[in-house]
Amino acid sequence: MHGRVKVKSTAQQEEEKRKEREKKLKIYVAARDACFSKRKEGIWDEGALQITQQLLSSNPDFGTLWNYRREILMHLETVKDEDEVQKIYEAELSFLESCLKVNPKSYGSWHHRDWVSTRLPRPDWARELSLCDRCLSLDDRNFHCWDYRRMVVKMSGVPVDQELAFTDRLIGSNFSNYSSWHYRSTLLPLLHPESPELPSPPRSSLPPSPQTHSHRVCEEQLLKEYELVQNAFFTDPNDQSAWFYYRWLLGRAEREEMISCVFVSREEERVSVAFSRPVNAQSVGLLLVLDGLPQRVEWRSVHPRFKHSPVWICDLPPGTVSDITNEHNLTVHWMEKHTHRDCALYTGRTESWCRDSATDQELFRSELSVEKTSVLQSELQSCNQLQELEPLNKWCLLTIVLLMRALDPLGYEKETLAHFQTLKEVDSTRSAYYSDLCSKFMIENTILKMEYAEVRVFSISDKNLTTLCHLDQLLLVTHINLSSNQLQRLPPQFAALQCLEVLEADNNSIENLEGVYHLPKLEEVLLKNNKISSLADLQPLASCLKLKRLDLRGNPVTRVANVESELAELLPSVSDLLL
Amino acid sequence: MGTQVKDVIVKPDAPSTLLLDKHADYIAAYGSKKDDYEYTLSEYLRMSGIYWGLTVMDLMGQLPRMNRQEIIDFIKACQHECGGVSASIGHDPHLLYTLSAVQILCLYDNVDALDVDKVVEYIKGLQQEDGSFAGDKWGEIDTRFSFCAVATLALLGKMDSINVDKAVEFVLSCMNFDGGFGCRPGSESHAGQIYCCSGFLSLTGQLHQVNSDLLGWWLCERQLPSGGLNGRPEKLPDVCYSWWVLASLKIIGRIHWIDKAKLRSFILACQDEETGGFADRPGDMVDPFHTLFGVAGLSLLGDEQIKPVNPVLCMPEDVLQRIDLQPDLLS
Ligand SMILES: [Zn+2]
Repeated sequence: MHGRVKVKSTAQQEEEKRKEREKKLKIYVAARDACFSKRKEGIWDEGALQITQQLLSSNPDFGTLWNYRREILMHLETVKDEDEVQKIYEAELSFLESCLKVNPKSYGSWHHRDWVSTRLPRPDWARELSLCDRCLSLDDRNFHCWDYRRMVVKMSGVPVDQELAFTDRLIGSNFSNYSSWHYRSTLLPLLHPESPELPSPPRSSLPPSPQTHSHRVCEEQLLKEYELVQNAFFTDPNDQSAWFYYRWLLGRAEREEMISCVFVSREEERVSVAFSRPVNAQSVGLLLVLDGLPQRVEWRSVHPRFKHSPVWICDLPPGTVSDITNEHNLTVHWMEKHTHRDCALYTGRTESWCRDSATDQELFRSELSVEKTSVLQSELQSCNQLQELEPLNKWCLLTIVLLMRALDPLGYEKETLAHFQTLKEVDSTRSAYYSDLCSKFMIENTILKMEYAEVRVFSISDKNLTTLCHLDQLLLVTHINLSSNQLQRLPPQFAALQCLEVLEADNNSIENLEGVYHLPKLEEVLLKNNKISSLADLQPLASCLKLKRLDLRGNPVTRVANVESELAELLPSVSDLLL
Repeated sequence: MGTQVKDVIVKPDAPSTLLLDKHADYIAAYGSKKDDYEYTLSEYLRMSGIYWGLTVMDLMGQLPRMNRQEIIDFIKACQHECGGVSASIGHDPHLLYTLSAVQILCLYDNVDALDVDKVVEYIKGLQQEDGSFAGDKWGEIDTRFSFCAVATLALLGKMDSINVDKAVEFVLSCMNFDGGFGCRPGSESHAGQIYCCSGFLSLTGQLHQVNSDLLGWWLCERQLPSGGLNGRPEKLPDVCYSWWVLASLKIIGRIHWIDKAKLRSFILACQDEETGGFADRPGDMVDPFHTLFGVAGLSLLGDEQIKPVNPVLCMPEDVLQRIDLQPDLLS
């Protein structure tokens, strides 16, 4: 029950209401039972139509009665001529119209209209479309009606540009209309695909969703859309609809599907493979070829929690690459995507890799795009103008942050941090969201800096990090410094750091080490002043066989009875333990 | 100029503590008003109504107060020749009520009260060529029904009886520009559908396909100054939407993006101190539906007076442990 205000009433009023309800109940039950028994007897006549009509007009969610009506209508189709059938169905449509007037959000009524419309001998789609127009003019957010409209449009072949013009009209009369903006997001890519001369092959019989690569919009149309959205948010800067739509417009194309990195280590006789998205290597057809010979290997994700993971590992058959005087050539094939990556392991080298780095792929030109810098620059200018007028508008601030990232993530780092600070203050309800997003951007910047410096050290201390992400990008990192942040855990994704030797994470709030799992080279773990409270929390470290040095000072676990001897048993390789 | 934020005002004298005993009394009494007009009008969804009532009772540790045998007999009587279950006797079978029936029988550890093989056949028969599911033989297509299908099969341990890949493909084709999901391809995002679709992707092991950061942003923007959550932009807050948004955020590992304390006080304010039960908004009429989602929401927010609830199936965790079902959640 929705939106029914509780009203106080006197005892006398209550008694009157009770009597009235009793009366209504009797009538209702009699009608219902009459329906059920007619149906049981297989009666499909006008009388049954009448009695179900009476019930459904007050209770349109009574689905079984619509079913009964459909049975009757289908029966009448077989005994009446086409004109009569047409008339019966038209009567049904006007009955439905009266139901929808009373209850415009009944699933049952809308579905029945759908059903009737597709059975009508001579459908009048123009009338249906104008019904939608009227209904949406009463409530422009009624999603049942929008869905019905989409059905009508599809059945009657209404041109896409006509529908786009319809959203123009609705948005023109009221910018705050999320449903219309949504509809535009589905229409634009049909009308103005990104590269019309190269239609991407449909993945399936289904229409692609606006989230997928093929559903981007060509640049000329994008510019027009930017203008429309700007009109909207300059008119009403607090209307979220336009801002959500704007963020989508600015979104970048999906990343190409590929093998982004192959790493091979002689000592561990192990190959690690990173993909551009999480995959299930056991089902995508992954083939490892070593010196021309396909290898029978078993792929496993970096953590047993993941059936889909961006990083997969396999052990080579013993002895195949261990002799340092031999040179080897590896190729990993991703059969499903017809792509592969080679990696050469030269004589005298203990390890080797081949990859496209984050900088190569322009991975963190944000979620924003490839669009021309000048366009983004002018968008940023407009937003900055708006921000001067509305300094505390969170939508505008967040959009500025996104635009800055698209333009120059490192150059705008200081402004970005300041804007995030303001966002957390003006929209404190969502401060955790802003903290996580800011953490993500800082991690991206640190990856970029690391790659420009061509080092394998990832250092991001004292940056108020609340979450870790992009860990699959850190496959080659040997030293990581996460000290003095606000991390609460090293999540399972952390197990992607297959080359990690030193982990520094002092002064956080870490209570969970799930991701420090089977890291074959890990020797040193510094966790001073965290919140590790039990030996069980340290269990994952037992899978890191080379661990020598462990600093747990300032953790609650140090106060556990017999902690030293328990740890000696749990982590026999550790020789340097600080408690 | 400027949009007025649609929201409610929580009055200072609104309830601020959890009135568990009253809620249990309210639900226990609800089923005994069988001759009530309003009760009779809602017969078309009776099976779900029973699921709402029993689940909230179980979450409050009060399941034994309900009439187990009567309910099980009722469910048996609602299974049809085709295998599907109807909301009540005399009504037609539908996926919505088939799921509710199986959920109830899981609470009672008694799924064999139904002909399980026939249930599976029924569900299998409703899958369409494009992977979607019709709610019943009359062909209404909705991602809600995709959820009902896989949730029922997961509870029965029979997921492999349908074409899961196709089913996933269909649900993913309903993903929108905002990362959310609608009823059908092209339909607007809606918290209820997002709950169904993220729950569906959890049960089918495909949560990595969700754009969690984008969807999580849309979801946490559902929280209004009153603390309540709405189901779509520019709509009023509601206890049931609070559950759907909250559960979705939990499934995609972003529950900390909303202000939990504020939501808790909004949900508590929707209690009726006189009658027990929760309403959609403070001051409205209570019903079992909002009572379940109010209590379940408080459980997800960590209230220790209530049993832990599973965000995907909206059932007590201990029931799912018993049948060894642990749907994926993102971390
Ligand atoms: Zn509600």
